[in-house]
Amino acid sequence: MDKTSLKEKKHAYRWMVIPPFIIYLFVLAFPVLLSIILSLSDFNGGRIFGAGSLKLIGFGQYAKLLSDPYFWHAFRNNIYIVLISVFGQLPLGLFLAYLIYRRIVRLGTFWQGVLYVPSVISVIVIGIMWNLIFSPFGPLAEVVNDFNRSSYQNNLEKVLDNYNYQNGDAIEDAMIDDIIRIDSKAARKAFDDPDKGIRETIAVLSDDTDEQLVLDLSNMLSRKWSSDFLNKDGASMWPILFVTLWCWTGMYLIIFLANMQKINKETIESAMIDGAKEKSILRHIIIPELQGSIMNCSVLCISGSLNSFALIYSMTGGGPARITQVLAIYMYEKAFMGSPDYPMANAISMMMVAFSLLLILLTRKIQKAFGGQDDEN
Amino acid sequence: MMKTDFRQERSLGAYIWKIIGYIIMILFSLLAIVPVLWLIVNSFKTTVEFNSNMAGWPKKFFTQNYPGAWRAGDFGILFVNSVVYTVMSVGISGFFSLLAGFGFSKIPGKSAKIIYSIFILGLLLTTQTLMVPIFLQVSQLDGVIGRLLEKVGLCAAEDFHLFYNTRFAVILVYVGSLLPIGIYLCTEYVRSIPTSLVEAARIDGAGYLRIFNLIVIPMSTPILITLGLLNIPTIWNEFALINILVSKTSLQSLPLGIYRFSGTLSSDYGKEFAALVIGLMPMLLFYLIFRKQITNNVGAGAVKG
Repeated sequence: MDKTSLKEKKHAYRWMVIPPFIIYLFVLAFPVLLSIILSLSDFNGGRIFGAGSLKLIGFGQYAKLLSDPYFWHAFRNNIYIVLISVFGQLPLGLFLAYLIYRRIVRLGTFWQGVLYVPSVISVIVIGIMWNLIFSPFGPLAEVVNDFNRSSYQNNLEKVLDNYNYQNGDAIEDAMIDDIIRIDSKAARKAFDDPDKGIRETIAVLSDDTDEQLVLDLSNMLSRKWSSDFLNKDGASMWPILFVTLWCWTGMYLIIFLANMQKINKETIESAMIDGAKEKSILRHIIIPELQGSIMNCSVLCISGSLNSFALIYSMTGGGPARITQVLAIYMYEKAFMGSPDYPMANAISMMMVAFSLLLILLTRKIQKAFGGQDDEN
Repeated sequence: MMKTDFRQERSLGAYIWKIIGYIIMILFSLLAIVPVLWLIVNSFKTTVEFNSNMAGWPKKFFTQNYPGAWRAGDFGILFVNSVVYTVMSVGISGFFSLLAGFGFSKIPGKSAKIIYSIFILGLLLTTQTLMVPIFLQVSQLDGVIGRLLEKVGLCAAEDFHLFYNTRFAVILVYVGSLLPIGIYLCTEYVRSIPTSLVEAARIDGAGYLRIFNLIVIPMSTPILITLGLLNIPTIWNEFALINILVSKTSLQSLPLGIYRFSGTLSSDYGKEFAALVIGLMPMLLFYLIFRKQITNNVGAGAVKG
């Protein structure tokens, strides 16, 4: 090739690669550098890019972070999300894909289409929606309590029929005992002294019709359930983990199903001729064949689970009292709420980058260690 | 015909399996779809009705929540903003990705490998991890450049606004965050275009720009469509970054607006549900229209969490 052509080649290469590279440096590479520098500095607002406005003071922020209980709490929540992603979304997606692939259920495309719907909706909408559903007096509580009440009502009617009770009749002791026995726990919750309480209530309601009496008593005495998971320590992460599972399982179903369809059918056919059971086909053919995509999906899961900012931000905001905070929310709080602590926020940011790189490296290591033969377990 | 799948299986065990399979599928599908339907149904209730009847069907379909929410939340502007952000970022990043993909795969050079692997490294980074440094950088850059320009005597330092609270910065950050996956997919794709085709065109005297226009772009439509289907929902639904890049209502995107709206109007459930439905409809429709193509792409593994 002659010289002008070589020059043209270089020239062309430059204008093809340099513009996107500059944008990339601006949006990803430079912020990483900036973040490292700021996490080691004493920057507290003001100009960054001026002479002498920054002083590097070393790894103090990281040390502070490691002894910060809120950091560890957020970190633990992040780990929960990684775990539910890798050990919840993936097996569930694989299992559902298997049901479709082996035609245990028909209409595969339909199920696939329906189950993917949550993945296309904005996580902000999802977060707000589930927050409404899980709210203490929300629809979930309503449905459960309606059910409790109607089953209580059935039992109550039976008891009243047993005693042939008409409203206004004299009250038998045994009947009161039977009423309490329907749900003694709930009765004790409704009245300090259930026996006395129920007697008095029936006496007060003695002018009502029989139906009205049954309804009022059921309302009063049936079990009340409140779905305020978000206000209970220990249980507060469950709704978030559930929604994480709800959101993305459909995506892994599609990935696994597509990869299952690439598996050579003859392998399965000959295994079936040899009398292989469904369970061993899954265990000894499908899972080993899918090993590569399982590993890739694990990487997706890990990087995706560190992306949980928007979901949690809109669902709980990290609250109540930081219980559902993850690292991204904690970082956001440090940088944008109250008086900003930028060095700390940047230290958290770098910890997150390190954490995800570590997990992804670990996944690759596992993949190498297991080679191509063993299955998921 | 061999018994290769369950359709031909007739034993009792197979029937039990089938029944269990259907029960599981129906349960999970209901779980996926009922909350969304619940949202849509409730957007047709008045707030008063919602408070007394949260889970049931509305007695009368009340449609006034929609115009009310649309006006109160300024969703007209937000919708336009979302369209602009999405179209621009997906378009520009697609163009740059293909350009760079062409450079990396068909013009071999020493630096190509290094720069390419730097881009690939970006696949492991999630931009929202970097929202604090990105915010600082974007919010300070106006001042830095402004002061420089003032020194040169071009304009006053305060008059320079290119980055913070601008559409430009939002699109720039979005383009940057889409580049790693775009460049990865485009480089792999253009690599599969026969090099002899490029060589032949070179011998005929075509410049690289001409080759890009006449050969690479037409042959790469499938990968550009893949990128579009993949990136449009990502950008449309993005929240973490735009939340810190923009503080004016007139620059917000739809998800950002929905979030602010539901925060300020938390007791007016009717309007809130309408707003949420407005928020989920565009991508739900997008999915319903392109369901087949999206499913194929996701299945091919062209996704980033």
